[in-house]
Amino acid sequence: MKRLKNAKKQYDDIEIPSELQSVVEKSIQEARRKHIKNAPFKKWGIGVAAAASLFIASVNVSPALAQSLSSVPVLGSIVQVVTIQEIKIAEDSYNADLKIPSVTGLDNKELENRLNEKYTAENKALYEDFQKDMEALKEAGGGHLGVASTYEVVTDTEDILSISRYEVNTVGSSSTTMRTDTIDKKNQILITLPSLFKDDAYIEAISTYLKDEMAKQMANDSDKTYWIDDKEEIGFEFEAIRPDQTFSITADHKLTISFDKYEVAPGYMGVVTFEIPTEVIAEHLISNYYIK
Amino acid sequence: MTKKEKYQLVENYIIENQNTLYRLAYSYVKNKENALDIVQESIFKALKSIDQLNEIGYLKTWLYRIVINTSLDFIKKHGRMQAMDDDVLHSFMPEQRDVEKNYDLYEAIDHLKEPYKTIIVLRYFEDLKIDEIAEIQNENTNTIKTRLYAALRKLRIKMEEKVEA
Repeated sequence: MKRLKNAKKQYDDIEIPSELQSVVEKSIQEARRKHIKNAPFKKWGIGVAAAASLFIASVNVSPALAQSLSSVPVLGSIVQVVTIQEIKIAEDSYNADLKIPSVTGLDNKELENRLNEKYTAENKALYEDFQKDMEALKEAGGGHLGVASTYEVVTDTEDILSISRYEVNTVGSSSTTMRTDTIDKKNQILITLPSLFKDDAYIEAISTYLKDEMAKQMANDSDKTYWIDDKEEIGFEFEAIRPDQTFSITADHKLTISFDKYEVAPGYMGVVTFEIPTEVIAEHLISNYYIK
Repeated sequence: MTKKEKYQLVENYIIENQNTLYRLAYSYVKNKENALDIVQESIFKALKSIDQLNEIGYLKTWLYRIVINTSLDFIKKHGRMQAMDDDVLHSFMPEQRDVEKNYDLYEAIDHLKEPYKTIIVLRYFEDLKIDEIAEIQNENTNTIKTRLYAALRKLRIKMEEKVEA
């Protein structure tokens, strides 16, 4: 036992770095800020068994809810996004926190239902994958697993409603994917990226601009890294945006292009979003109705 | 207790026990930067999932569990760091031969497989009780006792005291 005591002394002698205190304080402040930011969402937990049945229910519930809302006489149509349902699983090392958005108030019910069913389906898939992985991990002797989904209304003007959904998967490290839907409220249609342009030439115009912009940002700020010049030949150099790259339209009619975590940059950069100057794409736009 | 008070309590506990949390993280990753990262991430995780802490009596074991899991996740992802700290380097130097044996044991503990290493660290370095370790590991106390004996056998330490619950 004396040897154990000596070993303990070595453990106790692990030097405490002078930075520790400030790291701890900063982390607490940061966590507090995130906590406050998330606070307005009402959260409730439900059992695992109940969650499965609620999923089925919500598909039926959301059109009904939408219907009842639209039957209330209001001046003009109020299109809004609400949290229809939240699923939480907290089992030791397994955590799921899914927040499902629902669009209400669109007169175009087909579009509304299509969007809402998609949001429910996305989360249902996440939930089912999570359950599968959780069972597999439990069988394998345990592990850590987390999944979270949330959404954010990025633009909400008279004309445009843009909703971004985020999925965060945690197995050791975490990956984040983001998808955005942009709706023309007046004409009640879903805007896609290709639908804004005359032809495919926008892909190259935007990609060329982005590569320049990434290089510029890296030159000006050593904290920033994008995978544009593949020196290490890691094999995922950014070459071009996908035709249906995640995009959004800002309140002042600018196009933004987003990339998932790890898509064009190391994980610490997170999800990255670029605003595209309109002159870069002006000649390719069908009109400047959405983008100015 | 209001939610605000709960946050305050957990935050204060973290601040008061920051050295313990750091040492625990360091015992896994053996490197200052990574240990600081783990402390930071553990604080985020703890304060984010504060709702999962139902009884404040479990605060200590709950927080230990978060730090341990974060550390093990890190090792799983990055592999074991073979950083040569001064401590380890000195242990290879001939003039330090008299202390070498102790370093051997410390090193041997470090090379134990999970969950044996964590159990030894918690029991003998952190002086936790068996039932506290059981809570952290989410096992019953008998399992922990069995594992603790097995770990000591692996380390070939002659037991001079009984494992106390």
